[in-house]
Amino acid sequence: MPTIDIDYYEFEQMLDLQLDKDIEKINEILAFVKGEVKLFNEEEGILSVEIKDTNRPDTWSVEGLVRALRGFLGIATGLPSYVVGKQLGEVFVDQRLDGIRPFIGCALVEDVSLSDKIIRSLMHLQEKLDQTYGRNRQKTSIGLYNLDLIKLPLHYSVAKPEEVSFVPLGFTEKMTLKEILATHPKGLEYGHIISKHPVYPVLLDSEGKPLSFPPIINSNNLGRVTAETKNVLVEVTGTHHNTVCNTLNLVTLSLVDRGGKAFSMKVHYPHRKMSVSTPDFNVKEMRVNLKYANKILGLKLTTKQTAELLSKAGYDVAVHAEDEVCVRVPCYRIDVMHPIDIVEDIAIAYDYNKIKPQWRRLPTTGWQRPEEHWIRIARELMIGLGFQEVLTYTLTSPEKLFTKMNLKRKRVVELSNPKFVTMTCLRNQLLPSLLEFVSNNLHVECPQRVFELGKVTLLDAESETRTRDEERLAAVVYHANAGFSEGKSVLDAFLANLGLNYQLTETVHPSFIEGRVGIVNVENLAIGVLGELAPSVLECWKLENPVVAFELRIEEILRIKLSSGV
Amino acid sequence: MVELREQERQLMLALKDAGGASKEEQLIKHSKLPSAAIMRAAMALRERNLITIRETKQTSLVLREEGKYHAKKGLPERRLITALEKLEGKATCNKVYKTAKLEKKFAPIALGWSQRKKWTTLDSKANILQLVGKPEKGSDEKLLELLKQKGNVATEELVSELRDAVQILKSRKLLDIEEKTSRIIELTEAGKNLLKRGISAFPEVTQLTQELIVSGKWRNIRLQKYNIQAPVAKTWPGKKHPYLQFLEKVREKLVTLGFREMTGTAVELAFFNFDALYTPQDHPAREASSIYYVKSPKEGSLDSYQKALRNVKRTHEDGWRTASSGWQYSYSIKEAKKLILRGHGTCLSARTLLSRDLEIPGKYFSIARCYRPEIGDKTHLTEFNQVEGIVIDKDLTLRDLLGVLEKFALEIAGADKVKFRPDYFPFTEPSVELAAYKKGYGWIEFGGSGIFRPEVTLPLGVKEPVIAWGLGIDRLFMMRANIDDIQAVFSHDLGWLRKKEVI
Repeated sequence: MPTIDIDYYEFEQMLDLQLDKDIEKINEILAFVKGEVKLFNEEEGILSVEIKDTNRPDTWSVEGLVRALRGFLGIATGLPSYVVGKQLGEVFVDQRLDGIRPFIGCALVEDVSLSDKIIRSLMHLQEKLDQTYGRNRQKTSIGLYNLDLIKLPLHYSVAKPEEVSFVPLGFTEKMTLKEILATHPKGLEYGHIISKHPVYPVLLDSEGKPLSFPPIINSNNLGRVTAETKNVLVEVTGTHHNTVCNTLNLVTLSLVDRGGKAFSMKVHYPHRKMSVSTPDFNVKEMRVNLKYANKILGLKLTTKQTAELLSKAGYDVAVHAEDEVCVRVPCYRIDVMHPIDIVEDIAIAYDYNKIKPQWRRLPTTGWQRPEEHWIRIARELMIGLGFQEVLTYTLTSPEKLFTKMNLKRKRVVELSNPKFVTMTCLRNQLLPSLLEFVSNNLHVECPQRVFELGKVTLLDAESETRTRDEERLAAVVYHANAGFSEGKSVLDAFLANLGLNYQLTETVHPSFIEGRVGIVNVENLAIGVLGELAPSVLECWKLENPVVAFELRIEEILRIKLSSGV
Repeated sequence: MVELREQERQLMLALKDAGGASKEEQLIKHSKLPSAAIMRAAMALRERNLITIRETKQTSLVLREEGKYHAKKGLPERRLITALEKLEGKATCNKVYKTAKLEKKFAPIALGWSQRKKWTTLDSKANILQLVGKPEKGSDEKLLELLKQKGNVATEELVSELRDAVQILKSRKLLDIEEKTSRIIELTEAGKNLLKRGISAFPEVTQLTQELIVSGKWRNIRLQKYNIQAPVAKTWPGKKHPYLQFLEKVREKLVTLGFREMTGTAVELAFFNFDALYTPQDHPAREASSIYYVKSPKEGSLDSYQKALRNVKRTHEDGWRTASSGWQYSYSIKEAKKLILRGHGTCLSARTLLSRDLEIPGKYFSIARCYRPEIGDKTHLTEFNQVEGIVIDKDLTLRDLLGVLEKFALEIAGADKVKFRPDYFPFTEPSVELAAYKKGYGWIEFGGSGIFRPEVTLPLGVKEPVIAWGLGIDRLFMMRANIDDIQAVFSHDLGWLRKKEVI
């Protein structure tokens, strides 16, 4: 979810509303665009707004917010009119960009009145678009230039790493593309996007002067926009033609909202035999069937009402047939992919809180896994036996699962991108989680008796997720006199109350003391282990008292119970 | 016949042995009774005028750590002038400090007190200190010496000169005045007479035993009275984990409302977590910073879902038959097969929609452990639980969706009223956020929901509208349990679990 910073006073002024610095009031307005105030820095007048809709980059600037809100607030309904003036220049695209960054869109905006504040806001929009919609410049990146310093037409081409050099933004010395990647902060941040290619993208003017090295950095000489800049060249390069054009529209519209006049450029792709005029503010049309809308909303809207609501939501509407409207969708509403998107806007304009909720009685039967019943019984038995239930993470580390348990390392589900060194894999047994719990509670009064009913994840090549989860029960007793017989006594009581007979067979298990550990068998099926933990294991967990513990495959017990028809 | 309890009898005999009077400490030492028992017995005997208790208060002076230090090294101002003498009575402050080897924190104290005691004068411009005469030992220094020798001293024993010094050293925070009450217990005449006549105790028993009960001997004994106010050893009950108990209630409620439980594995195919929910393959939610990927095996199998996979692929690419434009990119099946740890429970809803057992009308829910690579904070954890589900039937509308949300708010959160706001999820349209109001709690965000987009349902073979909902149960739990940090859910604190009241 993008969070955008806007100037509170500018927002108030552009909406022509008194917001009284009242967050609740602002939130009520922002609800129309799925926004919410995260922070209001009153001193600097900066409002941080979180926009939940990741698919509406047109709302990621103060101009865009006002554009989206004006209909809802009754400032101006219907489609705002945006026009592109005549074509004023050309761009030639090099074939060798295919597979690297093949697309470009350019716009010329004249007579803009910029200020430091407006430039800051533009940079903020550019950053948000680069980050989110442009997928960290992978998909698109934006450049702004002082048009008066540039000789058209432009050439979007490629260069070898050491072939071209220019002074990058914020620097004073000339650098080659290779040097920019190696030393410029932006080169270090975004270099990975293009560094695998033998040649890099460059944007040159008609005299061969570099404007920028997309998607890394602009030229300090040509690519810097200041408060004095009157005429601006906007350029977007990227890997997807649609995304490039959409991004170009959004930046250009912000400049037009600031009083600029947009003119188009012709982008030539000779190798594709394709020429595209950018930017393109044309609206698209979408037909919405009224029956469809009413069926989804549970309302009985007429075409007239629908048209009014849509106009409030910033669309133009033409009524065609009795139960169909033709909606003119502005170019910046890239989120509108399906009539359902327009239906939602009808509902928002209508106001969710005016729609009467209805609880539909459906002939369904509530159901939970039958295992749930037995899990609850197991939980209650353990509590009756005086054990405290605990809840631990299923994410853990091989160190805890194996090293600290004196076990040989086995394969478990490991993460390729762990966030914490202590959480790098899913657990395959519960016991280490409980020992960790006790080791975190050494200062707490003994005796400590704790248990957990939880899941472990095991590898299973047969399964479509290559894993299966298993429900387990583990219990741990920790105090000065804890020993095998106390554990066995608890296990006796637990299984007897489930109506199960069990046998304990001797085994050797490196986590437990030899001769004080056994496999728990029910109906000739090994369902768990009971034993006194080996001192070496206690030492690994820094435990100071003996521990007796058991871990049962509760799911097997449930299976036995369920198959016996109880 | 005067009846005495066993402990009272013992105390009387101990006093007799001590010659009729004794200090409490002495009695503790000589009788084998614990001090609480002695005082209890003494109170009872005094009631009957057999003994008297005389209390005397004594104050004693005890040096603090800093006081002890100065007692050993001399007061800082004394150390200062001793050094100044060595420097022939005149030197810069720093030089004096250095010669005196004064610790930094004592330097200002030394300077201040040496002037206050008129032992030195300071030329503050030149920062030069000058000795005045040959200062004698003050009463404070004498007291300090006395305390050094004796350890502690009763105020009452001090000569008057030194009594004044007590206040000085106390104000310099070098000593503490401790008050102590000592008791002398003495037999009265009546007590002495009683002892002469001889005392017998009625047998008093602490523990009622099986033997006493069965044999009937209990008739001839007296059971000791207890101090019922006395603290006892702690008992810790076995208890459910408060969060799991809360989840259990939520589950019960949902089952009562007619919902069926869905389950699945923690490891999930990216296809169900994302693709089937119309999340494009380059969406930020799929980046390594937003979702956990499995290292090995990297891929699962989509063999059982070939048809759905084809439909989803087309839908992402160009909208397929859904009347959508689609995301307009080239869809990768390899990406769909990737194994991840599920980031939300909605993947289970997608699986249910695709299942042959899907019931229409149907209501489903899941309580799923979910994972996201976030650094945990007070409201987010890297591993957390999500409660969510779906409602499916022909002709479901936004009104039904609002009805479901309202029902949850009333039944599960116990809310008084609800409010709706537009919301966003990549897989629902329209989308609604639910805020619930409860008196005493205020408004809380209690859920998000929406109607699955046609791009979600149609490729999975579902033509009916599907309401998808999720509940913000963690925030509800935090309010109910009165905690402000969600990390308490996976509490590693046994003390907290033991003491937490049942909610």
